[in-house]
Amino acid sequence: MTPEQFAARRRDSWAELERRIAQSRRGALRSVPAADLQRFGVLYRHAASDLAIARRDFPGEPVADYLNGLCARAHPLLYRGRPFRPSSLPAFYATGLPRAVRAAGPYVAASLALSLVGVIAGWLAVRLRPDIAATLIPDSLFDRMARGEANSGVGSAPFAATFIIQNNIRVALLCFAGGALAGSLTVFSLLANGWMLGTLAAAVHRDGFDRPFWALIVPHGVIELSVIVLAGATGLMLGDAILRPGLLRRGDALVAVAPRAVELAVGVASLLVIAGLLEGFVSPSDLPIGVKYAVGATTAVLLYSWLLLSGRSPRRPAPVPQLGG
Amino acid sequence: MLPDLHEIRTADNVGIGYDAAGIGSRFLAFAIDSVIQGVVILAALVVALAIAPEGVAGSVAIALFVLVPLLVAVGYYTVAEALTAGRTPGKRALGLRVIRLDGGAPGLTEALVRNIVRLLDMPGFGLVAMFLDRRSRRLGDLAAGTVVVRERRASAAVAPVLPPPMLRTPDAGPAIEGVDRLGPAEWSALRTFLSRQGLHPEQRARLAEVIAARLCERLELDTTAPERQWPAELLLERLYLQLEPRMAPAPAQPGPGMPV
Repeated sequence: MTPEQFAARRRDSWAELERRIAQSRRGALRSVPAADLQRFGVLYRHAASDLAIARRDFPGEPVADYLNGLCARAHPLLYRGRPFRPSSLPAFYATGLPRAVRAAGPYVAASLALSLVGVIAGWLAVRLRPDIAATLIPDSLFDRMARGEANSGVGSAPFAATFIIQNNIRVALLCFAGGALAGSLTVFSLLANGWMLGTLAAAVHRDGFDRPFWALIVPHGVIELSVIVLAGATGLMLGDAILRPGLLRRGDALVAVAPRAVELAVGVASLLVIAGLLEGFVSPSDLPIGVKYAVGATTAVLLYSWLLLSGRSPRRPAPVPQLGG
Repeated sequence: MLPDLHEIRTADNVGIGYDAAGIGSRFLAFAIDSVIQGVVILAALVVALAIAPEGVAGSVAIALFVLVPLLVAVGYYTVAEALTAGRTPGKRALGLRVIRLDGGAPGLTEALVRNIVRLLDMPGFGLVAMFLDRRSRRLGDLAAGTVVVRERRASAAVAPVLPPPMLRTPDAGPAIEGVDRLGPAEWSALRTFLSRQGLHPEQRARLAEVIAARLCERLELDTTAPERQWPAELLLERLYLQLEPRMAPAPAQPGPGMPV
C-alpha cells in the first residue's frame, strides 16, 4: 500500500475528526452531546492507530507527520485534568482544608520551628547588641511603626486593609512558590518573617510599649501569622519532595506533591481576607485594648478549633476532598 | 529524540510527538496576555475611580484598586488555562498550548500551581529554568508537571500526501541487474525525489546524479554495466517503476482498514 492509497482510504475519517476538533472552539468538550463525544473518541482512536501504522509503514512521509499533528490536537481535548466545580467549595472549607492542614502536620511543625528560630534570633540580637538594634530591625518596620499608632498613615482604613490583604496574600503565595527552589526561598521567608517580629518585639519591650504594641498585632496577627506558617508548610512540602524524593525522580516527586500543596496554600491564603479586614479596621481602631485582645482570642479559638477538630472521623479517616473534585 | 520534542504515550501505546515551544514564541504570547491583563486592570480601575467618591462604594472601589492587580496576575492565567484546555488568548494567537506531561489538558490544580509559581518565575528564575530545561519549562511547569507545546495548525481538512511522481518515460525499460538488493528505504527515497516539484532542471539533474551514484553502489553494478551509461534521471525512473510492483502491490487489495 502506498501512502496515497492509505490516505485515500482513511481521509474521510480524518476529515471528520478535524471538523470535530474545530467545532470544540473553546477547546472544551463540555457542550458536546454524549453520542458525539463517543464518536469523537472513536475517531481519535482510529487516527491514533493510523498513526501507528503510518509510523511503521511510511516513516518520514508527510502523512505520518500529518497524523501526528492530528492526534496531538485531539488528545488534550479528550484527556483533561479534573474540572473545577464550585459546588465542591463548601465541603472543601468545612472539612477538606482542616484535614489537609492536619495531614501536613510535620511540615507545619517545621515551618513553625523556622519562624520561632527567626523570632528568637531577632529577639536575642536586639537584647544582646542594643547598640546596633536600629540596624537589626528591617527598615520597612520602622516605617510601619512611624505610620503610627496604627496603620493610619497609609491613608483610609479600607485602603490599608486591602493593601495589607494583597501584600500578605503575595507573601503567602511566594512562600508556596519558593518551594520550587528546593524550599530555599520559603525557609528564607519564614526566618525573615520571624526575625521581623522578634526584633520588633524586643525593641518595643525595651522601650516599654508592650501593651499597645501587642494590641496592634494580636487582633489580626493570630490569623495572619498562622497563615504564613501554613503557607510556609506548603513550600516546605515542595522543597522536601525535591530534596528527598524517595523512589521517584526529583521532578516527579515535586509534581506528585504539588496538587496537595497548592490546595492548602490557596485555601489558607483566602483566610488572609479576614485577617486583612481585622488589620485594617480593628487593630488600628480606638477600641479599648481589652476588646482587641478579646478579638484576637476569639479568632484563635475559632481558627484552631476549626483546623484541629473539623472533619475528624471516629472511624478511619475519609480521603481528603480536593478543591477540584 | 530531538532535544525539544516531548513525546507522550496514549492509552493504546501510540507515541504522539509534540514540539516544545521555545522562549521566543512564549515571550510573544506572554506579551499579548500582558496587554490583555493591562486592559482588564485598567478597566477595573476606571470603574473603581468612577464610583470612588461616595461612602461605602468608595471602600469597594479602593478594595478593587489594590486587589485587582494581584488577582489578575494569578487569576487571569489560571482561569484562562483551566477553561480553555491550556490556551490563553496569547498562546492561542501564537499557536501554543499548555499540556500535562501525559498529554492531557491542565485542570484547575495544574493551572493554579504553574501560575502561582509564576510569581517566582517573573523576577528571572523562570528564564534561567527555561534556558536549562531542554523543553524550555519554567519553574511553574516543573512544579505542575506541564509543558508548553506548539500546535501545528490544521492547514486543510485533508491529509497532505506526496503528489504522484512525475515520470517522463512511463516504461520500465530493460530489467536492471541487482534490483532485488534495494528495499523500502531506497524506494521511499526514489518516490520522494520523483515527487518533488519546483526543482530547477539543472538542480534536479545534479541531485539525480548524486542519488544514482549511491544507488549504483547498492546495486553493485559493474563499471561497464550499460545502466551506468543511462542519464541519471532515467535510471531513477526505471528503478522506481521496476520496484513499484514489489513495494506497492495492486491498489485493489483491501488491506487492514478499519470500519468507520
